[in-house]
Amino acid sequence: MLPSGVGIIGYGSSVYQKGAPRSELSYFVEAGGAALGSAGLGWDVVDGLSTSSTTLQPDNAVTTAEQFGLSVTWASVSNAGGAGAVVNVLDAVRAVEAGRASHVLCLAGAAQDGRFFRERTARFNNAVGDWLAPHGFGGMNGLFGIVQRKHMETYGTTRAQLGRIAVDQRASAALNDNALLRAPMTIGDYLAAPVVADPLGLFDCVMPCSGAEAILVGPLDRVPAAKRVRLLAGRERHNHPVGEPAPLRGGWETFRDGLYAEAGLGTADIDMVQAYDDYPIMVAIQIEDLGFCAKGEVGRFLDAHCLRWDGDFPLNTGGGQLSCGQTGGGGGMIHITEAVRQLRREGGARQVARARHALVSGYGMVAYGHGLSATAMLLEGAT
Amino acid sequence: MTLAADLPQPRESPDNAPMLAAWRDAGALALQRCEACDRAIFYPRPICPHCHATRLRWMPAEGSGRIVSFSRIHRGLPPVFQAEAPIVLAEIALAEGAIMIARVVTTAPEAVHAGMAVRLVPRAAASRYPLPTFEPA
Repeated sequence: MLPSGVGIIGYGSSVYQKGAPRSELSYFVEAGGAALGSAGLGWDVVDGLSTSSTTLQPDNAVTTAEQFGLSVTWASVSNAGGAGAVVNVLDAVRAVEAGRASHVLCLAGAAQDGRFFRERTARFNNAVGDWLAPHGFGGMNGLFGIVQRKHMETYGTTRAQLGRIAVDQRASAALNDNALLRAPMTIGDYLAAPVVADPLGLFDCVMPCSGAEAILVGPLDRVPAAKRVRLLAGRERHNHPVGEPAPLRGGWETFRDGLYAEAGLGTADIDMVQAYDDYPIMVAIQIEDLGFCAKGEVGRFLDAHCLRWDGDFPLNTGGGQLSCGQTGGGGGMIHITEAVRQLRREGGARQVARARHALVSGYGMVAYGHGLSATAMLLEGAT
Repeated sequence: MTLAADLPQPRESPDNAPMLAAWRDAGALALQRCEACDRAIFYPRPICPHCHATRLRWMPAEGSGRIVSFSRIHRGLPPVFQAEAPIVLAEIALAEGAIMIARVVTTAPEAVHAGMAVRLVPRAAASRYPLPTFEPA
């Protein structure tokens, strides 16, 4: 890792809402304003902007600058779906290091109701629209049903094991006022939920909603030492493995060793994992590919660990998307804001006791059968 | 009865027109084969995703394969498909080696299993479906 005086100096979340009662720009304003406020700064410092949103099109980062009255020297849009927020923040750090901007506000979120979500999903990209939607694929659920069944039949993974992810995240969500789904859930509730796309049940499927998340990247010395979050390493990989529509692995396996080596950390040094959770099976595959257990052994790993915020393997400590909801495009950023919140020791009732190093993992851009994009970053707090 | 015209349609392009025409006109499966590496390709595209050669030719496929994995989709279907739930969506290893995700039509969805042999639905039934669709062999 190169020594860098640039990092994450602010974070913010908007309220999460069902339906689309507000515009995505209003959620961006709320989350972005909170991020600037957490750094003690105002909109006047922003000279770089990135956006990640499923509902912003045909607008983009440049048109958002006009909406907000910002004149910026750097603007960028994600093309990696739920993996894109990690790319946005990685790129923002590199942009500031390179002098392209001084303070980059990374905005991610959406204003989507159910109808928009279904229409968007059916034409998520051309491969989905041309080769999956005409079959009646039921959104992404059917695709991840295929992946989960293959994992279960190949490795003996059970629904009860995967359900621990949804159940423990729900326990953490009880301490997050912003989570839309906070009612207690037992493994019995999880297993008894209506079947959606066998073997997936209702609580395997993330709920679309509206809201936004924001990260402010800039010179670390703009904020007190305790509030500085450093980027130790970050990686992205798209379309790995090539030519497998329903793989049991993803791009994380290609960069895992380099990611840890660059940061000078191993899995034992990671205090919390914030992993993209559109479906528990994909969280499980990230746990494997990021080296916490061997391929195929995640079922036993889940049996052996407590995944709650106060457990021995804190995972998605604010409840993740499975309990908070998925703000299309903000779905990848919620894991970064939660990591930064925890590393600044501002986790409130769900503060992780040892919170020095966080692994954030992204996943997204489902195309012909699975998400093409895998991303990850290692973040370090002050204490 | 639902007809293919009522269902979501693939967008026809010069890259995929031969495949869509083979299905629409003859209930047949046409695949691209790379002239350089000889591998079968699905979905259609203007470059071989295996070796990046651009000399691809269309060939008739057997229209048979085996299920690798699958999902029975009960909920969250577009309204036009809901009456046919559960829809079986399967990853299918075609005889030619390409992997396809396609619908398997069956009156016994609970009997579907990994390894099951499947074939294209009969030509007379093909017009009901916008894309090549399978049934247990």
